[in-house]
Amino acid sequence: MDYNSLIGFLFELKEIMQVNRDYLIDLDSVVGDGDLGLTMSDGFLAAYNAVKDSNETDCGKLLYFAGKAMGTAVPSTMGTLMASGLMRAGRELKGKTNLLPQDFVTLFQAYMDGVSDRGKAKVGEKTFLDGLDPAVSTLQNNISSGIDIKDAASNAAEAARKGFENTVGMLAVHGRAATRGEASRSLLDPGAAVAMLIMEAFAKSI
Amino acid sequence: MKKIINKPENYVKEMLEGIYIAHPDQLTYVADDVHCLVTANKIPGKVGIMTGGGSGHLPLFLGYVGTGMLDGCAVGDVFQSPSPEQILAITKEIDSGAGVLYIYGNYNGDIFNFDMAAEMADFEEGIRTETVIAGDDVASAAPSKPDEKNKRRGVAGIFFVYKCAGAAAEAMMNLDEVKRIAEKTCANVRTMGVALTPCTVPRVGKPSFQIQEDEMEIGMGIHGETGIRRGKLEPADNIVDEMLEKIVSDIPYVAGDEVAVLVNGLGATTLDEQYIMTRRINSYLADKGIKVYRYYVGEYVTSLDMAGASISLLKLDEELKELLDKPAKTPFFRQ
Repeated sequence: MDYNSLIGFLFELKEIMQVNRDYLIDLDSVVGDGDLGLTMSDGFLAAYNAVKDSNETDCGKLLYFAGKAMGTAVPSTMGTLMASGLMRAGRELKGKTNLLPQDFVTLFQAYMDGVSDRGKAKVGEKTFLDGLDPAVSTLQNNISSGIDIKDAASNAAEAARKGFENTVGMLAVHGRAATRGEASRSLLDPGAAVAMLIMEAFAKSI
Repeated sequence: MKKIINKPENYVKEMLEGIYIAHPDQLTYVADDVHCLVTANKIPGKVGIMTGGGSGHLPLFLGYVGTGMLDGCAVGDVFQSPSPEQILAITKEIDSGAGVLYIYGNYNGDIFNFDMAAEMADFEEGIRTETVIAGDDVASAAPSKPDEKNKRRGVAGIFFVYKCAGAAAEAMMNLDEVKRIAEKTCANVRTMGVALTPCTVPRVGKPSFQIQEDEMEIGMGIHGETGIRRGKLEPADNIVDEMLEKIVSDIPYVAGDEVAVLVNGLGATTLDEQYIMTRRINSYLADKGIKVYRYYVGEYVTSLDMAGASISLLKLDEELKELLDKPAKTPFFRQ
């Protein structure tokens, strides 16, 4: 797999964010200001547009510039966090023109590190990370035990969906949801929904 | 709102245009963007130091770009962070191979954007950057525990960080050394403020909060963030005592220590008042056996048209004394 597989992934990402735009708006309106659907659809579209016609064969550079374009297009908190994820993944994959299954584990692990470093958040704090973390673990375990990347990606997407559903019950400590205190436990986290959509797009693209 | 301005939306741009007109021998800008301010006198091989943050605090931040202090400053809109692209443009300009140190105040927007710029500088340009974040306001949060992030806001004490790190870079110390000096200065400086009136952001057009004519707020931040207590305005000596008690007990500063003192006006408090405070600061510290090595009195970090003042103490050792004493020349600070 080469840079074309990443462009395919970015294509599916902007598609899935477009299709789920109103779903994300509705989820976000309960706790935040409701602009998440717009930020994600505009941001991932900008990321895709930045690299769709690119001749960049370095997979790391491709992801980095996609992330940078997203950060410029949607400089809100969640926009910047997603941009940071792409940029960190780009840094980790810099120099690679050929991607092995293990490189996708690296990609999503780096994405998660980029988001958690910039957002100063940890797993269990009812954020995006609670959707992505179980997906990365599943992907890692599946790839290590020799499962085909297609099946591994589907399993990871399923793990992300469960992770998202499990945010009900968690106490929010970041963003506006945190101002609700204990009442935040009954809510689904919109950021974790974005993680679920990212993994669905990956499973579709691979 | 009663201000000498044109259109409020042009406030920062027109202020910057005036700055470049008045100081052409010291300041210029890059990337065709007046917000990307750099020194006109780059020194080859020196560690670059830059800062950045929202406007509305002059002489902070850009006023300390010059010989013996900073090399660049990303200027944001009033109380708004500059963008990563602007920070990156300055980083590229001021790097001369020795790397760049970012020194700025502890505010989330600035941290986000400087971190992003650092990542870009590393990936796109291969420029090494390091970061030191000043958080000296004792009124803004409890002291951080070991391994815990400093939650305190950055206020006037950052002046000392610029001064000491700037002198270290001017002495051609390397990036690690300049960073060590900046961190040591941050660790040794504490500040507290008092506000008597609110400030008015030009584009908002009305005061940021209400306070009665006979009231003061001890511990208020430089964007009007809530302080420790609001009460009746008291005589200067009482105000100074209350502020110093909180500052001195924080590190703590003890008998035998030597300190540099910064008495800072927030924008609408006269120098007369600042010197009345200085008089009391001197006797308070003398009673505690703390020796004052040097005073700085005046407007160093303001909050638009807010009335009020802050006091900063920097605990000194021989190394910091030497760096503090070095000459500096910027549009707003000469020594």
